Amino acid sequence: MRRLWIDTDTASDDAVAILMALRWPEVYVEGISIVAGNVPVGLGSRNARYTVELCGAETPVYEGASRPLLREPVWAYFFHGTDGMGEMNYPPPRREPASKHGVLAMVEAFRQFPGEVTLVTLGPLTNLALALRLAPDIVPLIPHVYIMGGAAATLGNITPAAEYNIWIDPEAAKTVFHSGLPITMVGWELCRGEANLNDEDMAALRALRNPLADFVLDCNPQALRANREWLHDPGLPLPDPVAMAVALDPEVVKRASRHYVTVEIASDLTRGMTVVDERGVLNQPPNVRVVWAIHVPRWKEDLFKVLQVA
Amino acid sequence: MAEKIIIDTDPGIDDAMAILLALRSPELEVIGLTSVFGNATIEVTTANALRLVELEGNNAIPVAQGCGQPLVLPLGEVGTYVHGEDGLGNTFPPPPKGRPLPLHAAQFILEALRRFPGEVTLLALGPLTNLALAASLDPEAVALARRVVIMGGAAEAHGNISPVAEANIYNDPHAAAIVFRAGWPVTMVGLDVTTRVVMTPDYWDELYRAGNTATDFLRAITPFYQQFHDQFYGMGGATHTHDPTAVAFLLAPELFETHHLPVYVETQGRCMGQTVVDWYGQWKDLPRVDVCLGVDADSVLNLIRERLTKTVEEPGDETTMD
Repeated sequence: MRRLWIDTDTASDDAVAILMALRWPEVYVEGISIVAGNVPVGLGSRNARYTVELCGAETPVYEGASRPLLREPVWAYFFHGTDGMGEMNYPPPRREPASKHGVLAMVEAFRQFPGEVTLVTLGPLTNLALALRLAPDIVPLIPHVYIMGGAAATLGNITPAAEYNIWIDPEAAKTVFHSGLPITMVGWELCRGEANLNDEDMAALRALRNPLADFVLDCNPQALRANREWLHDPGLPLPDPVAMAVALDPEVVKRASRHYVTVEIASDLTRGMTVVDERGVLNQPPNVRVVWAIHVPRWKEDLFKVLQVA
Repeated sequence: MAEKIIIDTDPGIDDAMAILLALRSPELEVIGLTSVFGNATIEVTTANALRLVELEGNNAIPVAQGCGQPLVLPLGEVGTYVHGEDGLGNTFPPPPKGRPLPLHAAQFILEALRRFPGEVTLLALGPLTNLALAASLDPEAVALARRVVIMGGAAEAHGNISPVAEANIYNDPHAAAIVFRAGWPVTMVGLDVTTRVVMTPDYWDELYRAGNTATDFLRAITPFYQQFHDQFYGMGGATHTHDPTAVAFLLAPELFETHHLPVYVETQGRCMGQTVVDWYGQWKDLPRVDVCLGVDADSVLNLIRERLTKTVEEPGDETTMD
């Protein structure tokens, strides 16, 4: 059994990623910490708890940092809807968030199971950066961190140079990238193009005729529309589920390599850019495993696999 | 009633003097020390914080260890060229008896703010990493602080660690930016006043004549600090008075002239750590802090001497709580 911790700013695609982890065989999600990002912490917490309950799980949800370290928050309602869930306005979850701070809860989990709890981050890296400063001893305790964030090919979404999660809190991202943690960066570009759920995929999901598959589609209409109209992509982009698939199933990765990667925090134009030193011209030791390509059919199989309800 | 304070500190020769001054002042109730990197590494500053509470029998005051590196930047050079490898002028005193709490400084600060809402003053004598971490973890607790008084920054004065930056701000500019805009009332006791409070060789000699535990300790650790001031500024045995001046502000604010001004902290580039005062309000949305611009230096020096030379009860006479 593999232990997982999920750090998330739960909006629609985060919810699908959480669902994947909760339904993946031989994986136990120790806890979910919420960070300000797509939506404020309270709303992210509500969405995460709704998703946990939809899956019939009892995973504790802990609320964490309510804003980026230095930058002002910029919510992503335009992409996820005012409820973060495509205006579905799901009923409130039954359970309250756990009382502990998300950062403290995460630190305790890493200490309780040294070397066992893999971390998957789906939002800005504020919680993890705070955890690293509060408890530097966790670095050797975390076997691996999978980060949905960045854009290795420098193709941004929130700006031409930067991906949203890194852009929102670039200082936190820089702290994390240079922490010595073993990191796999799953950039935004990996969910684009063929990796989108196309019309055929979405029809197949509907044909499963179950509430989980419906949930995946129902909470994401805004993302679908925005992706088609704004980015001229073929279908529904699911960045967080792609990152989760990489974390759950190593076979999803088609091409990856280790490089020195750092985050721009000084410039306005390129704030949050993940600069990958692919040719090693900076002579710095590699700190991040960059995923360059995924096996698209395998990622989609993984998604469909968790949505088959017996 | 005495003002409850937590001293966040990187001792440090002038920190040592400031801590002894605070502990000897009945107006202040020191409820804890929190350590941070800065003048030396975190291991060294934590041990020194313990040594300083133990020096005059204040062993019941807890010490919580804090951050060993800045919030965002990697750890740069620590200030051992000013304070000695041991942070105490290379006197290498015996190890402390006590140990730090099993609690991070930021958590200690947050617990104290929650336990005594509206009562606790944070006196920060080093880089502001611990305070920034506390404010980031629990922004609501910020409103529970009575006030934050920092030794740091330079409004009109030159810098000390760079032409424009004061060392505590420079050592963690991101933390300073967070602390300045967090929402608690901040007073900046910076180089504008601390470099005007000058301890001459005569002043030091007079202090040492008291021959008490505190002044004997200062007598041992200060020569290294004097040497630095002489080499760098040509002060001939005199020293600036940084951290003790911040304590003096708590004890006697009437000796200071402060102005409520918008301050921008530069976090990058050559001017990193500069505290830029927006005198005419030309930059919008800057947090305002109380900036000390004037000081009655003679009165501050008299106050410090009075407190440090008086006789205090010997360790062991006091009842300590365990």
